[in-house]
Amino acid sequence: MTNTDIKQLCGLLHEQVQAALPELETVIGWTQGYDLLHTTPVFVRDANSISKLIWNPFCSQNLTGYLVKTPAVQATDKAKKIGVCVKGCDSRSLVALIQEKFVSRDSLYILGFPCHGVIDWHRVMLKVPATGIQAATVEDGQLILEHNGGLQRLELADVLARKCLRCVYPNPVIHDTLIGKVATPLVTVENAYRDVEGLEQQSLAERLDFWRSELDRCMRCYACRNACPLCVCQERCIAETREPKWLTQYMSISEKYLFHFIHALHLAGRCTECGECERVCPMEIPVTLMKEELSKIIRELLGYEAGVNLEAVPPLLTFSPDETSI
Amino acid sequence: MTKANSGSVSTANQGIKIVGFLCNWCSYGGADTAGVCRFKQPTDLRIIRIPCTGRMDPLFAAKALIYGADGVLVSGCHPRDCHYSVGNFYARRRLEVLKHFLPFMGIEPRRFHYTWVSASEGQRWQQVVTEFSEQIQQLGLNPGVRNPGPGIELEGLLNRG
Amino acid sequence: MTGKVYIAQPDLEKVLSKLAGNMDVWVPAAPANGKWGVEFMPYHSGLAPILNRRSSLPPKKVLLPQMEALLRFEYQKDPQDPSKVTLRLDDPTADSLTSRPVLVFGARPCDTRGFLTLDRTFTNGPYVDAYYRKRRENTFFATLVCGEADSACFCSSVGSGPADMEGSDLRLIPVEDGYVLETLTERAAFILDSLESLALPPTEIQEAAAKQINDEISSQPASGFPPGTVEAFRGRFENLGYWQEAVEQCLSCGVCTYVCPTCYCFTITDEMKNLEGARLRSWDSCMFSHYTSEASGHNPRPTKLERYRNRVGHKFSYIPTNYDGMIGCCGCGRCIRLCPVSIDIRKVVQGLKEETCECA
Repeated sequence: MTNTDIKQLCGLLHEQVQAALPELETVIGWTQGYDLLHTTPVFVRDANSISKLIWNPFCSQNLTGYLVKTPAVQATDKAKKIGVCVKGCDSRSLVALIQEKFVSRDSLYILGFPCHGVIDWHRVMLKVPATGIQAATVEDGQLILEHNGGLQRLELADVLARKCLRCVYPNPVIHDTLIGKVATPLVTVENAYRDVEGLEQQSLAERLDFWRSELDRCMRCYACRNACPLCVCQERCIAETREPKWLTQYMSISEKYLFHFIHALHLAGRCTECGECERVCPMEIPVTLMKEELSKIIRELLGYEAGVNLEAVPPLLTFSPDETSI
Repeated sequence: MTKANSGSVSTANQGIKIVGFLCNWCSYGGADTAGVCRFKQPTDLRIIRIPCTGRMDPLFAAKALIYGADGVLVSGCHPRDCHYSVGNFYARRRLEVLKHFLPFMGIEPRRFHYTWVSASEGQRWQQVVTEFSEQIQQLGLNPGVRNPGPGIELEGLLNRG
Repeated sequence: MTGKVYIAQPDLEKVLSKLAGNMDVWVPAAPANGKWGVEFMPYHSGLAPILNRRSSLPPKKVLLPQMEALLRFEYQKDPQDPSKVTLRLDDPTADSLTSRPVLVFGARPCDTRGFLTLDRTFTNGPYVDAYYRKRRENTFFATLVCGEADSACFCSSVGSGPADMEGSDLRLIPVEDGYVLETLTERAAFILDSLESLALPPTEIQEAAAKQINDEISSQPASGFPPGTVEAFRGRFENLGYWQEAVEQCLSCGVCTYVCPTCYCFTITDEMKNLEGARLRSWDSCMFSHYTSEASGHNPRPTKLERYRNRVGHKFSYIPTNYDGMIGCCGCGRCIRLCPVSIDIRKVVQGLKEETCECA
C-alpha cells in the first residue's frame, strides 16, 4: 500500500462519509495522533470535520468498543445511524456485539477497510531512534521511515503487529461500504494458531514458568479489559468487586494470574482475537495468546469461530443435548 | 515446590486437600448414599454443595487450583437427567474447555476432573473418590501459582505449610 | 570528598556493583527479552542497565510501592474461652523497611521531578506519611541529563527541562565512551566516597565535554503552556462540551495514572483470611469508575468526563494553586505514549484558553 493508495483511499473515505452524513449522527473513525506513528479515535458529527478522518497502516485502534461502553455512542435521533470504521478484525468484534444484542445491526453504518496489517509501535521503537520522525510510509512490503538519522527501511514482517501476521480475516466480514481492494489473507485458519502451538510444545513446567514471568509484570491497570470491545461489565467487573471478593489488592503472581485467567475465560467463545488487549498493555505482555488458545480449543471441540456468523450464539452461552466431541 | 512424591498411595499424613463441587440433587445424594452404605473412601475430599453443575463457574475450579488446592472434582447428574433439565449441558461444555485450557497455563490438568454420578450410585461415588484421591496422591502437593511476593508472604496468609 | 568521577562505559557495571555493596541501587533495565519497555529494578550483578532510552515506567515505586502493608493484624482466640478475642497488631514501619540507603541511578529529570509533587503531598503539611518519609529520607537520586526529546516529551513546558536537577542528589552526564557523575548535595557525599578506588576523577577533556553537553542541553528553549492556565481551567470547568470532546476517546483504563511520576492516589483495603490479615495501601486511579464511589451508592464523578476533567485540573490547576505555582506534571509524556488511544494531554491543556478543543 503506497502513499498514493492511501491518499486515494482517504479521498474515497471522505466522499463516502460526505454522502452518508445526512443519515448519520456520528461517524467514529481514526485521525492523526500525536506523531506520525500514532492515530487517535475521532468522532465526526458535521461536514467540516470529515477531513480529519484518515486511513493508513497506523490505524490500530478497534473502534467498536465505543458503541457499547458507557457512555455508549448511540443515535439520540432514532432515524439516524452511527457510522463506524472497521478493519477486518474489528468487523468481527461488531458481529460478536450484534450476536449478543449489545448493538443492533440496523443502527449502524459500517465502513469496512480491507487491511494489510497495522504497525506495532513497540516493534518499530526497537529498531529506530524515537526522535524526529518526519515521514512514515508503507511500500512494497517495507516500512520506510525518515528520521534524524536519515532514511531507514524496515521489513513489514518485523514491524507488523503479531495479530496481523496470523490474520485470517483481513477483509471486513460485515460492512455497508468497502473502501479499498479486497486483501488476501496471510494464513488459513488451520495455520492461524502457530504461536500458541509453539507454547503447547513446551513442557507443563516450562509453560507455567513462561506465564509466571510474563504475568508477574502485570500492573493490573486493566487497560486490556477496558480496551476489549466485549468487556461490557465495566464498573461491575468481578476483578474489582469486593462482594464477592475474587481478587485482593496484593500484587502477587496469584492475583495477577487469576485476573488474566478470569478475563480469558469470560471471553471464551466470544473473543474475536482483535488483539487490542495485547496492543494496549503497557508492559507488553502477550495476553492475546490466552484467548487464542481458548479460540483454538473451542474450534476443535465445538467447531465454532467467533465473530463470523451474525445468527450464531457463542457456544458457552448455549448447549447441545447431543455433543459429538465431548 | 512440590514435596517428595514417591508414588506411594497411602493417604495417611500427606494432608492433601481436594475440593469437590457436587450438585445438590444427584451427586450430593450419591455421596450421601455412599455414606449410608458405609462405603470406605479416602477422606481428602472437602465437599461444596451447589444446586446444579450449571451453577459451576469454571473459575471456581481455576481459583482453587491457583491457590493451591491439590485437586478439584466436579460431579453432577448424568446428561439428560439434570434436575433442572439443561444445567449439566452447559457445564459439560464449560468444564471440558477448562480441562483443555489448564495445561496451556501450566496447571496440571489431571488435578481437575468432572464426572456424573446419580443419587443411587453410592458405589460408583466411592470408586470416583478413591480413584481421584489416588491420582492426586501420585501427583503430590500442588504448589499453586504463587511466589513469595516482595515483602509480603502470602504463605502465612493462606495457612499453607 | 570526591565531587566528580568518570565512569567508562565498560566499567559501569563494576561501579554499580560496588555501590550495591552498601546500598540498594535501582537502575533502568529491560524486564524481558525482546520487549521495548525499560523499567527500574534493583541492580544485581549481571543486570545490564539501559540508559540510552526512556523508561516506560517511572521509578515511582521506589518511594511509593504499588502495594505495601501498613499493618498486619491477627485475631487471637483464647483456647479456654473462644468467645474472648484479642487483636494483635504488627506495625511494619518499625522493622521491615530497608535500613540501607537507596540510590536511584539513571532516572531522567522528568522522573525525579515527580517526587517533588509526592514530597509536598506526603511530607509537607500537618499530616506526614511516616511510611513515605522514612523511605524518602533514605533515597538518593543520580539523575541523567537527557539527550533528546521524543514526540511526546514536554518537560520544558512545565517548568522543568532536560538538565533540571531539582530534587536530585547527583548529576550523571553521558559523554563519549562513558559518564561523568557529580555530587550535587551534601547528604549524598558518601556515595562517591564509597566507590574508593573506583572513583576516578575525570580528565580535563572529559570535564569540559560534560560541561559543554550540560550547557547545551540546559540552554534549550522552554516552550511553556500559556500563562493563566490555572484560571483558564477554572473558567472551562462548566463547559461540558469542551470536556466531552477532550474525553470522548478515553477508555477509563487507568494506564496514564499508573505510569505517571506525579500520580499518587491510593486505596486502603483490609485483606483477611480466616483470623489474620493485613491493611494494604495500593495504587488507585482517578480514572477508575469506582474511584469516588461512595458507600451510599452515589458517585460524584460518575462518567469519564468528570474523571478526566479532574485529572487535568489536579495537575494543572489544583496543585499549582496549593503548592505555590508548582505544576503537578513533569512533562515526561508517558501518559501520551502509553495511552491506548493516544490522548494528548498537552492539547487539552493548551486548548483551555482556546474556543474549542482541537483534541482530535
